[in-house]
Amino acid sequence: MSAPADKKPAADPAAEKLSGAELKKKAKAEKAARRARERADRDAAGGTPGPKDGAGKKGAGAGGAAGGKDAGAGGQKGQRQQQRRGSTQGGPEAKKRPVENKNVAVFGHLYGQPRRTSVAGAGKEVHPAVLALGLQMRDYVVCGSSARCVATLLAFKRVIEAYTTPLGTSLSRHLTTHLSHQITYLSTCRPLSISQGNAIRALKLEIASIDPSVPEAEAKAALSEFIDSFIREKITVADQVIAGSAAQKIQDGDVIVTYAGSSLVKQTLLAAAREGKRFRVSVIDSRPLFEGKNLARTLVAAGLDVQYTLVHGISHAIKDATKVFLGAHAMTSNGRLYSRVGTALVAMSAKERAGGVEVPVIVCCETVKFTDRVALDSIVVNELADADELVEVQAPQQLTGLPDPAAAAAAAEQETKKGGKPNQTAHSGQSAAAEFPTDASPLANWKETPNLQLLNIMYDVTPAQYVDMVVTEMGSLPPSAVPIVHRMSTNM
Amino acid sequence: MAGPSEAEKPFDIVATYNELLRTDSDMTMPIAAIESLVLLLTHSPSSTISETLDLLEKSTAHLKKSIPNPIGLSAGTDLFQRYLITTLQRPGQLGPAGDFNAIRAHLLSNGRLFVRRAKESRDKIATFGRGFVRDGSTILTNGGSRVVASLLQKAAAEKGGLSAVRFRVIYVLSSAKGDVENPSAEPEGMETVRMLRESGVPVATIPPSAVAYSIGKADTVIVGAEGVVENGGIVSRMGTYQLGLLAKAMAKPFYVVAESHKFVRVYPLGQYDLPIEQRVIQFKTQEDIAEAEKQRLDAKSSDVPAKTSSEYREVVDYTPPHLISALITDSGVLTPSAVSEELIKIWF
Repeated sequence: MSAPADKKPAADPAAEKLSGAELKKKAKAEKAARRARERADRDAAGGTPGPKDGAGKKGAGAGGAAGGKDAGAGGQKGQRQQQRRGSTQGGPEAKKRPVENKNVAVFGHLYGQPRRTSVAGAGKEVHPAVLALGLQMRDYVVCGSSARCVATLLAFKRVIEAYTTPLGTSLSRHLTTHLSHQITYLSTCRPLSISQGNAIRALKLEIASIDPSVPEAEAKAALSEFIDSFIREKITVADQVIAGSAAQKIQDGDVIVTYAGSSLVKQTLLAAAREGKRFRVSVIDSRPLFEGKNLARTLVAAGLDVQYTLVHGISHAIKDATKVFLGAHAMTSNGRLYSRVGTALVAMSAKERAGGVEVPVIVCCETVKFTDRVALDSIVVNELADADELVEVQAPQQLTGLPDPAAAAAAAEQETKKGGKPNQTAHSGQSAAAEFPTDASPLANWKETPNLQLLNIMYDVTPAQYVDMVVTEMGSLPPSAVPIVHRMSTNM
Repeated sequence: MAGPSEAEKPFDIVATYNELLRTDSDMTMPIAAIESLVLLLTHSPSSTISETLDLLEKSTAHLKKSIPNPIGLSAGTDLFQRYLITTLQRPGQLGPAGDFNAIRAHLLSNGRLFVRRAKESRDKIATFGRGFVRDGSTILTNGGSRVVASLLQKAAAEKGGLSAVRFRVIYVLSSAKGDVENPSAEPEGMETVRMLRESGVPVATIPPSAVAYSIGKADTVIVGAEGVVENGGIVSRMGTYQLGLLAKAMAKPFYVVAESHKFVRVYPLGQYDLPIEQRVIQFKTQEDIAEAEKQRLDAKSSDVPAKTSSEYREVVDYTPPHLISALITDSGVLTPSAVSEELIKIWF
């Protein structure tokens, strides 16, 4: 079932029940009141097929789910709901109810602009390649720190190729501003990664250092060459070097635990497999991105022995682990690892298991991901993704054909509430629930559920003492050496 | 192609290395390795850069293979090779465009200089480390490290001087128990003990099993190292790791004394990740022992038991950086995390 189909029924009853409170607009409230009236009419008529019957059917299913949740929450909530229903009809009363803030207070500073959903409103300066890339990054089509960095650079290469210096200005001055528009657009699609930031900084530095007397074509060719060599040196070749040296740390009989889907860890494991080493891999994964699935698939295809667990099975997976390999989003100057949320949990489980000596935690990371920022916790700097990503659950196929218990309870609840009158509605609700099990997701109506906030955080910070070794293209380092290498690699 | 192999015949790098170590008691493994490489270069008539590098690489590999524990010496060979490459890459007279004979002469003289400087570094360390031996303190140490010996000696020698440092030493002596052939052999470090006692320092000797018992009486633990690895940990004589663990448990400062040429590009993840093979833990049943005994009697080759005993004396363990308070080196007193900085400076 696709996402919009999920959301639509979720939004529909919302409009019916809460719209006055939510939208705080008189017109909308009136509309809702009208709708409520319509609905009451329909209920009374016993489900007369109306103009919006198709939606109504789904809506009944979702409404049933909501009812079921209320039943579970106890009498108090039920009362509140009834109150609300009453208030929908009495418009002015509803307007006084404040909109509940759905932001998690501790992370309040991270809720910036919601991610861009379309290219509408993008500046005319933004190159089509960048427009497309922005949306791809937003949808996690291009995902992962290095991949985003490479894709950005390649898009910028096309921007530079298509660029002509306007009259009365020089390339080294104007191109930077031109790129800034592209960068701003990209950052509204998804906040830029550390590696993207570093690459952009290097590119801007290169642009600024171009002699204004150099002909434009020559300058553009030089910049293209710079981008190519940057990708080659800092990512492509660096990845090969890292994979090669990290693979040396894998020995026969090892059980490697890895988390989510780092491309670098994938390369490392494949390199070790190519060398003929015999080892097992335990991939730990998590919702909602399931990046580990891809990794596990690739490793299985390469003939490796793979075990796939979600992060709640970590204590089992770590039990027979001999080494932990982790990818990185960034390494901070105090040696901490900033990576996909859940990484810290894996690293800590590995270190806490046996007094913290026997399971080494190895991070594979290019130096382009090093930053001079300092991270003390995962709260100050982080990225929040759309909380709705957590809601969409693909329920496993039900084999027995029994209706979802939650939906059934909801239907029963509805029936009792309405005194057995709307028999048909209840029935249709039940069948809808069986047809669309995702509607029964307990989080489907989270925006309308009072006191419920969802947090879909992207990264966390692993303290330096949980990392034994950072493998970079400049050699293996302890995490404490990150600032030194960062200083050296940026000065060169 | 025939040049280097012919030259290698009369010059045996392994024998030279062993000879250097035996004749000069002040010689450390990395320095002996560098010196033997310098000697190799003087003996071999290589005339191009790539030939020289090739020869060095081959000889280094050969040397590493022939020595049971190449961690210490690889610090020296790596350093020399690195030095060679950077010298050759430098522009100017000695660069790739320069006259090769000049380059060679320069290399040889500098190699000698390096060896001399490395020997002097021990004095430098003693000067840096003297401050760590405080008046009235008790030092716990182990093994036969010459740097530790020279440090303690320096501190003791000042006794009559301006800064009178009175200190006591608890010396952990591994009884030469593994030495089957020579059970009465002197344990490693006995020489230092004698020397310290001669200069008026009260020394107590304890077996390794008494470390936990005695460490409460000590104020500071000072040990030597065979190699300082990339993360700031050390590879050192067997027993150092447990000393470190106990010192940590008892919250005693644990200092490592090592010359900076002992910094080696190895990154062990644990005790069993060292790039050498050690037969320390060997599970046997009565049957296995009988079998081995029979084989030994059958073979009757004299060098087999001698080898095992010397092997036992050379086993090492790895002390992770979080147990180390500081490293006293000739480039200053470093925290373990500063070691990687030093190493990166050398290598990039």
